[in-house]
Amino acid sequence: MHPTLVALGGRSAWKGPFFVHFPQLREALRSNIPIKTDARACTILPNFVGCRFQVHNGRHYIPVSITQDMVGHKLGEFAPTRKRFYYRQTKNK
Amino acid sequence: MHILGVLLPENQLARHALQNFFGVGPMIAARICARMAIHDRCKVRELTQSQTTSLTAFLSSPSTYPEAKHVPLASLKFKAPAAKPLPTPAPTTNERKDTLLKSLKIETELKKEIKENIAHQRMIGSYVGRRHMAHLPVRGQRTKSNAAIAKRLNRIERHL
Repeated sequence: MHPTLVALGGRSAWKGPFFVHFPQLREALRSNIPIKTDARACTILPNFVGCRFQVHNGRHYIPVSITQDMVGHKLGEFAPTRKRFYYRQTKNK
Repeated sequence: MHILGVLLPENQLARHALQNFFGVGPMIAARICARMAIHDRCKVRELTQSQTTSLTAFLSSPSTYPEAKHVPLASLKFKAPAAKPLPTPAPTTNERKDTLLKSLKIETELKKEIKENIAHQRMIGSYVGRRHMAHLPVRGQRTKSNAAIAKRLNRIERHL
C-alpha cells in the first residue's frame, strides 16, 4: 500500500488532509491564548504544536493543548462527547 | 513439524498451516508459498528439506530475506538460435520489489507493534486510548449488550 494513503487514513492523496483555517493561529501561539473552535473534524497539523485549543463537545469547550504526538489526529478525538454513566441516588444533582 | 516454535500440523496443506503464525492470513500464506515454490496442494509432510530451511530463514527475518531473482521472459520476436546456447539476459535495473513480504511482521514483532500503537493512543489521551483503558469497544459498537470481546481483551496492556 502507498504510505501516504495510510497516513491519510484512506482519504485520496491528492486532496491532502482536511483542516480548517485558523486566522488567529500565529497570534495564539505567541500569546498562548486558547483558540475556541467547533471544528472537531479538523486534522491537527504540525504548525498547531504548542497551541492551546478549546474544542466543542456539544455542550462545553474542552481545553486541549497540542503536543507533537497528536499530529495527524483530529481535534475531536481529544474532546469526548459522552458522559460516563454512574448510578445517581437522586435525580436532583 | 515446528518452525520457530509454531506447530505446523503434518497433514494440513502448507498454505493453511502457515496461517498458524500470528500475522499470516490466507493472502500472505499464498504469497509465501509462491515465493518458496510450494505448490497449491502441497501438504506439510511433503515439504522438501530446502523448502523447510528457506521457510525458516524467511520467517525469522522477512525484511532481510533475499529478493526473488527476476527472470525476464523472452520477447515475442525472439527466435531460438539453432545450435548456439541462449544469450544470458542482462540484469534489469527496475526490479520489482515485493513490499508485502519485505515489510511482513509476525508473532512477537507484530504484537509489539500493536501494543505500541495502543500505548500511543493512550499517551496522547485520545478517544481510542480511553476506550481501550475502559475495557470498552473502540469503534462505536453498542455496549448495552454484546461487546464481549472488547470487555475481555481491551485492557491497559491489551491481551492479544
